[in-house]
Order: sequence, then C-alpha cells, then structure tokens
Amino acid sequence: MHPILTVFKKELKITLRDRKTLISSIVIPAVFMPLIILGVIKLQQYLNEGQNNRQLKIAMVNAPSAMDTLFKDPKITVLKQANAAIAADSVKEERYDAALVFDEQVATRSDNAGTSKVLIYYKSTDLGLKQRIMPKLERYKTALVSARLKKLDLSDSLLSPIVLHEEDLASKKELISVLVGGFLPYIFIIFCFLGCMYPTLDLITGEKEKGTIETLLTVPVSRFDILAGKILAIATIGLCAAFMTISGMFLTLRLMNGIPTELLIPINDILTPRFVVMLFGMLTPLSLFFAGLLSAIAIRAGSFKEAQSYVTPMTFIVIIPAMIALFPGVRLSWQTAWIPILNIALATKEIVAGKISMIQYTAIVATLIVFALIALRFSVRQFSKEGNILK
Amino acid sequence: MIQVQNASKKFALSKKQQEELQTEAGSLFAVSNVSFTCKPGSVFSLLGPNGAGKTTMLRMIATLLSLSSGTITVNGYDVGTQADQARRNIGFLTGSTNLYDRLTPLEMVKYFADLYKLPQSVFLARKDLLFEQLGINSFLNKRIGQLSTGMKQKVSIARTMIHDPDVVIFDEPTSGLDVITANNIIQLILDCKTAGKTIIFSSHIMSEVDLLCDELAIINKGQIVFSDDMSAFRKLSASKSLTSTFIDIVNNSEHNAPHLNRL
Repeated sequence: MHPILTVFKKELKITLRDRKTLISSIVIPAVFMPLIILGVIKLQQYLNEGQNNRQLKIAMVNAPSAMDTLFKDPKITVLKQANAAIAADSVKEERYDAALVFDEQVATRSDNAGTSKVLIYYKSTDLGLKQRIMPKLERYKTALVSARLKKLDLSDSLLSPIVLHEEDLASKKELISVLVGGFLPYIFIIFCFLGCMYPTLDLITGEKEKGTIETLLTVPVSRFDILAGKILAIATIGLCAAFMTISGMFLTLRLMNGIPTELLIPINDILTPRFVVMLFGMLTPLSLFFAGLLSAIAIRAGSFKEAQSYVTPMTFIVIIPAMIALFPGVRLSWQTAWIPILNIALATKEIVAGKISMIQYTAIVATLIVFALIALRFSVRQFSKEGNILK
Repeated sequence: MIQVQNASKKFALSKKQQEELQTEAGSLFAVSNVSFTCKPGSVFSLLGPNGAGKTTMLRMIATLLSLSSGTITVNGYDVGTQADQARRNIGFLTGSTNLYDRLTPLEMVKYFADLYKLPQSVFLARKDLLFEQLGINSFLNKRIGQLSTGMKQKVSIARTMIHDPDVVIFDEPTSGLDVITANNIIQLILDCKTAGKTIIFSSHIMSEVDLLCDELAIINKGQIVFSDDMSAFRKLSASKSLTSTFIDIVNNSEHNAPHLNRL
C-alpha cells in the first residue's frame, strides 16, 4: 500500500474515533441541521396558526351597523365604546387588540357621497393583526362604492379600466433556485469548512503537541506523503460533513409533513444523479482547498489552543463570499467564476435552476483544483520547515 | 554504526528568542563541530546539562533535523542525502511515549510496520516476538489512551523495534518513568547491545550511564567537552562520584570557553 494511503487510513480511523469530530462533522450536519430547519418551519407554522386562530378583542366607536355583519366572527369579540381616547388607551394597555374609531357622521356622509375617516388604533408589534382587520374594512369600502355607483346608475367596471393578470413563466426549478439555491450552498460550504477544521487541529497541531510527529518523521516516508495522507483524511471528513448536511436537509424536506406538493415535486426533481455528481465535482476540490489551507495554518501553531485562535477567524473569510452569493443581482459570470467559494455558491444556484453552462462549470472546477493545489503546496512548504514541526 | 563528523546545527533566532536569550546574534549554534563514532554492539552515551544540544544531536542522527554543516552516516548511509535508507536502519525512542491514544497497540505497531513496508509475514513474526517478550498480548486490543504509562512504554518499545533496526536512538528514554517502566527500557538497551545493535542514548541519570555505557561524550553548549570510553571516565572519577566528575567537566568547559554556543 502506498504510504499516502497508509497515513490516510490511519488518520481517518483515529478521526472517526474522536467524539468531538464525530459530533461536529457528522452528528450536527446530519441531525441538528435538519432538526433546526424542521423546528423553524414548524414553529413558524404554529405561530401563524396561533395568530390566525387567536381570539381578537376589537373596540369600536361610532361603528356603522354594517360592522356587525362584517365582524360577525366567533374568533372576534367586538366591544362598542363611546370614547375614542378610552379606546386608544385600551389598545395601548393591551386590553384590546385594536380599536376602530369612525367619524360621528359616518352613516350620513356615506349616504351623501361624502368621505368619512376611520381611525385604526393597533400595535405594529402585533404581527398578523392588520391582515385580519383590513380585508373586512376593504369589503365595507367596496360595498359603499358599489352602492354609490348603483345609485348613479353606473357599472362597477367604471372604476376598473384595466384588470391585471399575472403569469409567472419561471419554472418551478428556477423558483426553487431563488428560494433555496442561495441558502443551500451557504449551509454546506460552512459545514464543509467546519468539518475540515476539527480534524485539522487534531491531526496536525494535536500530533505536534503530543510529540507523535517526531516518531512519525523517523520512518522512511517523505514529508509530502505524510502530509498528503493527512490532508486527504481531513478533506474526506469535510466532504462527509457537506454530504451529511445536504442529505439531512433533503431528507427532512421529503419526510416532513405539510410541505406543499408544488414545492415537494421540484425538490425531488433537483435531487437527480446529475445534481449530486456536479455538486460533489465542485465540493471535492473545495474540501481539499480547505484542508490544505487549514493545515498550513495549523502547522505553524505550537498548541491546540493557538491553532484554534488562528483558524476560527478563517470562518468569516469563508462566510463572506458564501453570503455575497445570497445578494440579489449577484450572478454566475466569467468574473465571479474565478472566485473560490463564491463560484461554487453561485454555480449551485444555476445547477438547481437547471441553467448551468458546462463550460463555466468546468472553469469553476478547474479554478477550485488550482486553489486546492496552491493550498497543498503552501502547506507542504510549511510542513517542510523544521521550526514549524518540532517543538 | 553511527559516524558523526564535524556536525553543526545553526538555528535562526526570532526577535522573541533573542530577547529570551539576551543576545543580539541573529543565529545560534545548537551543535557545533561535533565528531564521534558509535560502534555496533556497544552503548554510546551522550551526556550534558539541559539545553546542551543532546536532543538536537540525536534529532540530526534520526534525520529529523538537517545539518548546517558536517556529515552523519548511519550504517554507511548519509542522513542528508540518503535519508530514507538511513531511516530504515534507525529506531527512535524518547521518554514521552509518542503514541496515538485512539489506536490499539496492535494497530499502532501495524501502522509503523506498514510505513516501513514490512512484508506481512515479517510483521507477524516480529509482532509475535515483541508482544510476547514485552507482555503486550494481554492488552493488544485496548485503546492506548486507556493504558497505564508502563503499558504505553512497552507499546512504544514495540513500535520502535518492529522493523528490527540496527541502530537505536534513545532520547532520555527513562525520563519521568517509574522504576519498573524505566527498568524495561534499561533491559531493552542491554538486549539491543547483546544483539549487536548500535546504541546511542542521552540521559541525566549517572547510575544508568554507569550501568549501560561503553563510551560516552559530554556535550555542553553545543560542543563536545569530553569524549572517551567509560573506563577512562571512571578512572577520572576515582576519588569522587561520576556526577561530580560530570559537573566538573561541564563547569571547566564554561570557564575555558565562555563564548561557546554563540555565533
């Protein structure tokens, strides 16, 4: 067996026996991430349902009789009041959810083609409240307009010279690429990086700190082979973390109840062998790039703690390009295709939308390979320096 | 056989190191112009106070550090230009066990055997012999992290000896070990000597030196200040202890050459 493979096998074995690495690279992406997504979706559903089913208390001052019919709802309690100031205070003190204060002459003005004012007291912090009140008032307004037009013997269409019809030509895949295409790479890039981070600290700095590197370097194997075996193991764990994140997310979305079919079908459509192959075609050099870069930094550290302080800020360097891909208007172009991390995030959106150009995809993979090789060369140089290796 | 000829090792000093050492020199000789020969079937001891250059010297022999000048050959192989061949002949053991806590003794020894590219049959024969001699069979599938220091040291010995090296380097091998574990190491050194291997070891403990050593060199501030066989050293210590003689040699060297170690 080639020494690189011998080192790789052993590093993978000891990494998979490390509880901390297992938790950060496998358990969190595979279990916690889907749980977090599931939790957020369920919580949002629960809050929305709670908001819509909540018993509302509305105070009304000078309310016309039409309000009795419009607000006849078992989930709404209407309390008539005489004073606007008292009604406003009751909302402020949260005894009522909202107060509707109509002009005193609202009925007369409505009949005489005048304009009445309706003052709505509410708290903007009470999310979803306006959505439950405003449609009822809009209906009241429409009914009044319609009655006035009828009195003048005019048709309702007089006030609707044009009718807008929208037709969305974006495919479901394109829509999904906008909705999750930006968010998806952001998550798996971060987990790929974090997946590489802990094994790097353990396999590079940990070995230096414990002194095992000293005996390892006395064997007839080149330093390049030793480091290459380590980097391969680190990259494999990073890749595994990214894989666990993606599979965890997709499995959650597929197995979760309550996902609309129109969303579920495109999600299933995205998960084609082509998508998986193309994604891992980019993720493999990316994880090698991360492993090489992190190793070069970790080699310089004298202790685990020192290495941690060096590599933790690197997370921000990874997050920023991944976040830029979320900005509206940032698209995959020949300019962005050369920027590592950003290019993989943008390309994922294009793959999800089914619009990726194979030439651009090849350029991205080639760019990532070049960056991985540069990172590897950099780390080999650091590993060859005696001062970096021995305490 | 180990042959060291005019070996020197110069380290560049960082600003922090310059401050710590209170020097303005940009570099420092950890080992300067050192020559000696270790013969097969004998034990060569490298003695010296802390920071004298013993570990640097042993690391150069073990190919861990490159030489700034001079040559070192191990069984005829130059450690600079024929490092891989030299490494095949070297076993390196230190006081700290240097083992992987998450591997079992069997996995640990197999890993090094694979890196030495030992054929499976050779590995099995060597493993059986060493595990039997050292009594590792009772815990060969336990994780190293769960073993006692003594057990770990036995695994460390098996790891060092798995490829049956002709040259064995011991860098303060008994430092920090209890009497029983230290005795295992001493026994190993004696066994290696009987087997005709070349042994070099560094130590602070004079009783060990007295028991094991055939030849010795005292190193101080990177330079050899005494080199002879053990009988000559004992003769020098006729009226006093070996430790006192060692201290006298080190102190005299500092008075005679206070510039030692500086560029």
